[in-house]
Amino acid sequence: MILVVNTTADTSVSEEVKKLAAEENKDIKLIEAGNKKIGNCIGCNYCWLKTPGECAVKDDYEEILKEIIHAKELWVISDTALGFINHKGKNFFDRILPIATMYLKFKGKEMRHVARYKSSPDVGIIYRGEADKAYLNRWTERCAINFESKSLGAYSTENIKEAVACM
Amino acid sequence: MHVVIINGSPRVKEFSNTDKILAKFTEGLTENGTTFEQYEVSDRKQWDAIRTAYNTNKNILMAIPLYVENIPGLLLEFLETLTPKNDGTQLSFILQGGFAEGSQLRCGEAYLEILAKELGCEYGGTLAKGDNFSIRFFGEQTRERVTSPYKEMGREFAAQGNFKSEACRKFTGPETFPLKIRILVGAMFATVARKSFKKIAAGLGCTKSLKYRPYK
Repeated sequence: MILVVNTTADTSVSEEVKKLAAEENKDIKLIEAGNKKIGNCIGCNYCWLKTPGECAVKDDYEEILKEIIHAKELWVISDTALGFINHKGKNFFDRILPIATMYLKFKGKEMRHVARYKSSPDVGIIYRGEADKAYLNRWTERCAINFESKSLGAYSTENIKEAVACM
Repeated sequence: MHVVIINGSPRVKEFSNTDKILAKFTEGLTENGTTFEQYEVSDRKQWDAIRTAYNTNKNILMAIPLYVENIPGLLLEFLETLTPKNDGTQLSFILQGGFAEGSQLRCGEAYLEILAKELGCEYGGTLAKGDNFSIRFFGEQTRERVTSPYKEMGREFAAQGNFKSEACRKFTGPETFPLKIRILVGAMFATVARKSFKKIAAGLGCTKSLKYRPYK
């Protein structure tokens, strides 16, 4: 399943993604999260150490997390700020920690968390606004390394077609 | 010199590893007369005061725990409320994380340079170091041993005015560990460390396997 989560309040981008994906016969599951209640990670580590796999922040994120664990690809649509995705987009990624466990192992030369579920989604970003594209690509690569998956890249909303082609 | 220190951790001060690092860092920083004021982003009630301090001071230091390869979402939310300065203000960073390798901090560090520019500040460098996950779980003696190297870095910042010296660069430690160490540490994480994590979890009231899957 290709999961697309729109963290912006503007649904025109996700509508465009949906339309282009349909044209290419790609089956996507779209979640409009722009108006959902999704708080920031508070760093309590309960999802690793107290209630394994469950976030202590009880809000609308849990229903999305239940989809993420079945997704082959995760695409996040985010607004930008300060050269990066904005805090709503970043909160979305910070809250993904329950899919990892507290246990650690070496993968290549670096240490990684052992994944909680059998597979983790490949990751792609669609960003709306000014951002440092080269950095966003680097960051998405690093996120994917942590998920033991691969990066699908970071695309401006001006290049939605390119992003959908990668789905 | 006077430094405005912003603890960018979303974790409450009492449990913040970054705060414990700052406690040592500021011991060294203030030895020769440098003064500081410190704020916590985790406390939204302080946000107005932090904005005022940011606007009226020219030497700002943000201490940041690495969250998913970058700064925590809560800190980003706060930073989005600031106005770029463009008045010669220096912005320096302490970046700390759980994983021990320096390589794990570089993506976050690269963003901090971008961030300083976005905020119209001069980049004062980043003091990057990992292996800090367990600070809050340690007893006093071990915590002292793990955090005390930051005291020297406080002295270094007071003397140099930034984190661009060779001593600061070296403070990070190895970028990655040699194969022999990786095998040894890997074995430790598959055995002893697992027991230790289980013990910490039990202390927090955890009754499930740490590999438990709540969602099917």
